[in-house]
Amino acid sequence: MGIKEESCYLQRQSSDEECIPIAATRVPPPQGSVLKGGEVNSKSRIIKAVTESVLWDQRNTEIDNVSRSSSATSGEFWGKKMGKFESFFYRILLVMLYISYGLFRYGQYQYNRMRLRILNLIYNPANTPQLIRQDVMKLQKIPKRLAAIVEMKPVGDLGGGLKGLLNDSSELVCWTVSAGIKHLVLYDFDGVLKKNVNELRNEIHSQLSKYYGPSNVPRYAIKIPHSNKIYFNDPNTDKENENNASGGDQEKTQEKKKVSIEISLLSNRDGRETIVDLTKTMADLCASNDLAISDISMQLIDSELTQLVGQEPDLLLYFGPSLDLQGFPPWHIRLTEFYWETDNNEVTYSVFIRGLNQYAGCKMNVGK
Amino acid sequence: MFLNAIEAQIKWGIMLFQEIIHQVGTLIRLSFHQMFDWIFGLTLINTAYKKIQSFLINILSMAPVPEHVSFIMDGNRRYAKSRNLPLKKGHEAGGITLLTLVYICKKIGVKCVSAYAFSIENFNRSKEEVDTLMNLFAIKLDEFARRANDYKDPLYGSKLKIVGDKDMLSEELREKIKKVEEITKNGDDFTFFVCFPYTSRNEIFHTMKNSVESYVKDANPITLSSFSRNMFFDKYSNRCDLLIRTSGHNRFSDYMLWQSHENATIEFHDKLWPNFGFFLMYLIILRWSFFSTIQRFNQNGGPLGKGLLRRFHVFHLRKDSFINVDSFPEPPISVSITGEAN
Repeated sequence: MGIKEESCYLQRQSSDEECIPIAATRVPPPQGSVLKGGEVNSKSRIIKAVTESVLWDQRNTEIDNVSRSSSATSGEFWGKKMGKFESFFYRILLVMLYISYGLFRYGQYQYNRMRLRILNLIYNPANTPQLIRQDVMKLQKIPKRLAAIVEMKPVGDLGGGLKGLLNDSSELVCWTVSAGIKHLVLYDFDGVLKKNVNELRNEIHSQLSKYYGPSNVPRYAIKIPHSNKIYFNDPNTDKENENNASGGDQEKTQEKKKVSIEISLLSNRDGRETIVDLTKTMADLCASNDLAISDISMQLIDSELTQLVGQEPDLLLYFGPSLDLQGFPPWHIRLTEFYWETDNNEVTYSVFIRGLNQYAGCKMNVGK
Repeated sequence: MFLNAIEAQIKWGIMLFQEIIHQVGTLIRLSFHQMFDWIFGLTLINTAYKKIQSFLINILSMAPVPEHVSFIMDGNRRYAKSRNLPLKKGHEAGGITLLTLVYICKKIGVKCVSAYAFSIENFNRSKEEVDTLMNLFAIKLDEFARRANDYKDPLYGSKLKIVGDKDMLSEELREKIKKVEEITKNGDDFTFFVCFPYTSRNEIFHTMKNSVESYVKDANPITLSSFSRNMFFDKYSNRCDLLIRTSGHNRFSDYMLWQSHENATIEFHDKLWPNFGFFLMYLIILRWSFFSTIQRFNQNGGPLGKGLLRRFHVFHLRKDSFINVDSFPEPPISVSITGEAN
């Protein structure tokens, strides 16, 4: 079908100018952004923010560059204006309400952290795949496709920067292999993993050899659907493969391609933009009469997007403090189960296994 | 004589005293009864509850609130089952909850509320239940239209829009929808979207198709923003700030995928939908406001800091945006140590 070639062409064309880091321009949901901590969200600053809101007409401050439809004026209530004194009175009450809520939330936060620490002690894989498999064997079912949203933490933090991101991702790969799940989707907003795919391959290799020993590292394939590339195992094996292929040893390379896990790397580019690009491609095809408008159907779009991005994951894990999907491809989260731990901010095994646990217990009833 | 006179006086005094006591007694008793009724009568508790509600809402009307709130109303049937009621009652209770919450949201200052009333997948349910839902929907449509036009009603001045694949509905229902949308189209300050029958993939698919059509016909360029604008929710299509799903499932079930996959706060709650009341809703919005106050403070800087900076003409202590190096004022003259200046 023509449309497939066209969209592949489109992929190759745009892959050069892609990946401008735009995470800084994104406005994350408030709770997640505050609870992630960092320098800006120190306790004293939070108290300052709350108390200073007495002096501040918040309804008229724009938060993002995207212009909101129309801003309500503060104090306008039921059409009648509130007096200056009255609105000041309510603002003071609001701050008191904020402070009491903040105290409550602080207690909740400490409780959650404590709980997570204990859970991390209970569930500890200790680089041992047998333990992971044992945990998984207790479950009734496991997801076919697992997705995880990973993110780069500030460079100064523990486990931050590119190193930390690669480490987190490769650990996730190890757990997924050990749990016996065949497909893993790793999503990061800026596509850092895509750009550093060779480092990722090395990291996964060394991590897997920690789990399984250097002599029998499980085979893996890394797929980048956006640029339509597949990498097998770690970069050192590329040369071997080439030698083999030139030596005519076809069977051996075929065997090498049997993998125990397939990892797809996605980024923000695969979300809304891909859908719009597909629309453009279809529009061009329709304009040149290669495709009739009546032929555009749900099935066609679904199969195209599956081709371009991948299949819908069954379970999506998020390792941040409150669920923030960060632009995960919208078409692909139709029935996906979400799992995250409140106030958690680390990629840990306890979140992983508890996510699988929840998935095992959930009932699927489409529409019923 | 003298004694008699005194006796009469005393008798009269006693009678008067008795009378007064009696009068006061009845008065007290009556007013006590009244007070009793007043305290324990529903009106008082109701008014107190309403007063507390509107007081709390007044406080929150000083805070930033989400612009677009969305509900996935899950748990009506389980609610009915848990109370041994027929399914229909469960759906009715859910409808009442929805209207109450819409009213609360409107009072708080939310601009737009949307609700997942019926999924396209729900056509797979038994015919009886689908019919019940259709009838209930028609009744609620009428009720909403009436209330939106009654200037005494809190829902006055709101716009009602039904979104979704309306081709799947019956002819008369479509007529009715058209009529109600026509009646309420002037409500500008608040919009209420009811998704009936809707799935998000269906919405994306329709938008794609329409975009292609308009490109072929009028050569309208397709961009991310034009695509977003063409979706079902008018100007609120780009994002939903707060998505609430009740009854404990952690998934979207094909709802608002495009709107909430990026910046939305997503709340999953264990309560069944008919039990989801004012205080829960208030707590969720309070949490949102609390964290967005802090977020906005971090982004814009506080009012104090900004005011001071402006007062003392200190410019650019914070990095607001990226600027060209040429636009800076000239630095002082550069002189090398040997004294040669250029």
